Amino acid sequence: MNILSSWLREWVNPNVTDETLAEQLTMAGLEVDGITPIAPAFKGVVVGHVVSCDQHPDADKLNLCQVDVGEVENLQIICGAKNIRSGLKVIVATVGAKLPGGLKIKKAKLRGVESFGMICSEFELGVVDLSQGIAELEDDAPIGQNIRAYLNLDDCVIELAITPNRGDCFSVLGVAREVSAHYNLAFDLPEFKVFSQGDCAIGTSVSDTKACPKYLTRAITGIDNTVKTPKWMADKLVRSGQQLHSPVVDVTNFVLLELGQPMHAFDLSKLTGDVKVRMAKSGEKFELLNETTLNLKEDTLVIADNDSVLAIAGVMGGMASATQNHSSNILLESAFFEPTSIAGKARSYGLHTESSLRFERGVDFNITELAMERATQLVVEICGGQASKVNVCIDKSALPELKPITISQEKIQKILGFELDAKWIEQKFINLGFEISQQTSDSWTIIPPSARFDIRIPVDLIEELARLYGYDKLPVQKLSLESNISTIYEANIDQYDIMKSLINRGYQEVITYSFISEKYQNLISPDAKKIRISNPISADMSIMRSSLISGLLQTVESNQRRGHTDARFFEIGLCFDGIKTDEQSNKLAAIVTGNRFDAQWSADLQPLDFFDIKADLESLLALTHAEFYFEAEQHIALQKGQTAKIILNGEQVGWVGALSPMVQKQLSLPKCYLFEIDLISIKSRNIAQYKAFSAYQQSGRDIALVLDEAVPVAELIQSVKAMQQKYFVDVNLFDVYIGERVESGKKSVALSLTYQSLEGTLTEAQLNAKVDEVLVLMQAQYSATLR
Amino acid sequence: MIGAILDRAKTSIAKTQNLQDLEDLRVSFLGKKGELTALLKGIGELSKEQRHKSGEAINQAKVSIQTLLTDKKNHLELIALERRLLAEKIDVSLPGRHAEMGGLHPITITLNRIQSLFATNGFEVALGPEIEDDFHNFTALNIPEHHPARAMHDTFYFDKNTVLRTHTSPVQIRILEKQKPPVRIIAPGRVYRCDSDITHTPMFHQVEGLIVDKHANFMQLKGLLIDFLRAYFEKEALKVRFRPSYFPFTEPSAEADIECFICSGKGCRVCKKTGWLEVLGCGIVHPNVLSSVNIDPEVYTGLAFGIGIERLAMLRYGVNDLRLFFENDSRFLRQFR
Repeated sequence: MNILSSWLREWVNPNVTDETLAEQLTMAGLEVDGITPIAPAFKGVVVGHVVSCDQHPDADKLNLCQVDVGEVENLQIICGAKNIRSGLKVIVATVGAKLPGGLKIKKAKLRGVESFGMICSEFELGVVDLSQGIAELEDDAPIGQNIRAYLNLDDCVIELAITPNRGDCFSVLGVAREVSAHYNLAFDLPEFKVFSQGDCAIGTSVSDTKACPKYLTRAITGIDNTVKTPKWMADKLVRSGQQLHSPVVDVTNFVLLELGQPMHAFDLSKLTGDVKVRMAKSGEKFELLNETTLNLKEDTLVIADNDSVLAIAGVMGGMASATQNHSSNILLESAFFEPTSIAGKARSYGLHTESSLRFERGVDFNITELAMERATQLVVEICGGQASKVNVCIDKSALPELKPITISQEKIQKILGFELDAKWIEQKFINLGFEISQQTSDSWTIIPPSARFDIRIPVDLIEELARLYGYDKLPVQKLSLESNISTIYEANIDQYDIMKSLINRGYQEVITYSFISEKYQNLISPDAKKIRISNPISADMSIMRSSLISGLLQTVESNQRRGHTDARFFEIGLCFDGIKTDEQSNKLAAIVTGNRFDAQWSADLQPLDFFDIKADLESLLALTHAEFYFEAEQHIALQKGQTAKIILNGEQVGWVGALSPMVQKQLSLPKCYLFEIDLISIKSRNIAQYKAFSAYQQSGRDIALVLDEAVPVAELIQSVKAMQQKYFVDVNLFDVYIGERVESGKKSVALSLTYQSLEGTLTEAQLNAKVDEVLVLMQAQYSATLR
Repeated sequence: MIGAILDRAKTSIAKTQNLQDLEDLRVSFLGKKGELTALLKGIGELSKEQRHKSGEAINQAKVSIQTLLTDKKNHLELIALERRLLAEKIDVSLPGRHAEMGGLHPITITLNRIQSLFATNGFEVALGPEIEDDFHNFTALNIPEHHPARAMHDTFYFDKNTVLRTHTSPVQIRILEKQKPPVRIIAPGRVYRCDSDITHTPMFHQVEGLIVDKHANFMQLKGLLIDFLRAYFEKEALKVRFRPSYFPFTEPSAEADIECFICSGKGCRVCKKTGWLEVLGCGIVHPNVLSSVNIDPEVYTGLAFGIGIERLAMLRYGVNDLRLFFENDSRFLRQFR
């Protein structure tokens, strides 16, 4: 909302600068986005009268003018503008003037003739953006008057960001009320005298009075709509950001800005029969003022005559019944539409209008009549014509109810933590136009003004008081102390620790968008449910990710393009199997590509492989002290034979593997290794429980087994552990050999077995017996023989 | 005789250049078959008096030779060590064998900092889903259908009733549905708005804060947030101002600005010449919100606040383009390691 300072000050004029006023408005909750002067600074520019205008003796395109600027002698000024002529009232920058942009006007000689000043366009004063020749002022412009005063240029526009609760501030009147409340400057609503006679020629009826409790119309006949909108009104409209149309439309816009009441004018001659306020019929077509045609929906309130729809109520009028310059009979409308009946309607048709903006938020339902009088007065004043009496359709029971609200000192203090002075409270309620209907020593019952749709419950009053007092002046207090220590579960692994562990191993965290392209989704998880956003930003961001991998692949891809060939990235974030709450869970995924170490003097460049990323993954799993297993797995995006699923308690919780060469090629990526794991599976750990350890020596035995190449070594080791032998301490894999020295199709696996007793050092015989048990099992289960 | 041996020992020890030769010398003089040992064996044939005298002399010679040997040995060892150290000398200015460290994303760093600061005041972390239903994202937060505030939210929809959460405020509702007051939580996370340009990304982060208590009030909210902002920016005298604002789920509502520390409040491009930077929104939880989760607003007061993480990260680290956070360019991310 743009408010012209001078317009506001016609209503209420606090003795402060515009800057101070703007600051005050911001601190009162009407945030000022900016203050824009109407014109930049300049001086020495006055109204001049071109007494004579002759061609320059030595230049075809220049004119020699004698200009009266109210001094003893006329000024001789040379002017090149095409529209210069004798008798014009013009803008004259006299010698010594300083124009915007730093231009200084000096006495000059042009082709041998002296010039004492410059005749200006409004562009040169920085008032308009385009140059359209020198400005032609009104004939009655007073000669010699400072142009800033004549054009009212010492003014500024205050841009307000109005919050949705303050629909009442979308007008000069509304902002004036706010200002008056702050500065204790009371003002009364003006009265507008209108001479009216005769009934309105057209009848009105309202079929849905709940949606439209109040509907006023008035005919004005015999107007001249071809006249020019007066300068005072045109300036106010243009400077507030409105375009000029015909005087009648300008008047309705003026009343909208002044009083906040959206109005409409129909061309009376284009109406057939009576005017009805009703709901649209299904399939009804309607051509808007902006020449687009809509198919109306049944939930839309419209204004119609016998034949067709004339306007969408509270949103926009129609082309067919619009007033034109030649219109001589008009029907003015001033109505109150219930906010909920208008809310969302404009948007549902892709519209956003000054009218819908106000009606959606609530228009003062007691200003309808005043606005009608004001508009009538202005139309008659500007265009002449005869006003009829007002045709009133009103259903008082459907108007918003202004229920009394009671607030106590105690409640104020409870919410704010601070006691306000009772007298001050009362004064502010009055300033705000709240009617105090009952009062005790420590409570007030007020009735909110009809303009304030945001004042309904006691806390609304507390906010009013607090903001008028100044949030900034309210003291501060410490939180009330509750000294209970909250539990920190040791078994929970902090997400930060998980991240730290990866960071220490060289991984950089990334944050990628939660929505991905269908292409990626199809590449990585074609079988996952596609959760589509119905109004995505773009096709590339239209599907909720079911895996973090697409974001990581994109990150690698974009960094490769920038020349970063070595990369270790990870991300933690929600992935989506569906739209329900329990279908959204956190995953952790990581990707590596390039060399194990960057090029350096003390290490060779070696490409990363599966066991690098697996080691990183295992370091995470180790945080939990739980047993995870890996089993060969197939995954659409990963390389066959280099992919494993991660298993915890018999359930798959993730996978690790090499990116499949197919995907790699399609996305032009280098060799990558990745893992993804459900975060929950590494979020808790077993809390350590001390076990006694032996004071005696460990005994160890290394064995090399030859067995079928296809047997997973992890399974072998697991079998040994599962024996739960007495004295067993550990089994360690220290070599795997496939080659000439073992039979084809076989491999040699070297294990180191460790045993220890709490009672004493194991004897050779005891040790042998233990190792033999293992060998027997290996033979039985895997046909493994000692090498 | 002993004197001659001693002299010879002195001369040969002095000449010796390595530890092996020295050991050989020790054996030849003091070993089981050494010269002095042989002499000692011989004194049994002497008279008691002479035996005593000779014995003493031999022992003295033995001690002398032993001392010479030890000294020489130490000396030779020292030389050997020096030689080895020389051979093992390295260029200590060469860089260590390094594996690169990774790092956290600056948004995570900021979130962690905020969480730790609030943790000192007893705030626990709560999380919620990012695909939300209309009830939690809007209706329960006093934003009924067609409320003008909905239009301001630029919501992503899945269906009429399901959205990507537009703010972290629905976590307030989810917590209050299952936890009775007193409540003191913060809820960090991703939020989404259908808006993408220089100053908007369709995904960003917020931290929601909520206190529900019998004795909570606006002054405490103000005090808490001033403390937080000063701690976050590590500026004790940071100027903070509160001005009225509007959120459907709080009443009274406020926005907090900090003095622009880029221009010290004089007005610059970053603060749009106002001298102030908006950093958070807050307020007293609207009674309709508490009622929607069956908490009596006459008994309990709720304090709520929402902080834009990207905004705080940008101000703290001098990042001037929001979009950098989600481009994941290594050249950007590495700067926060």
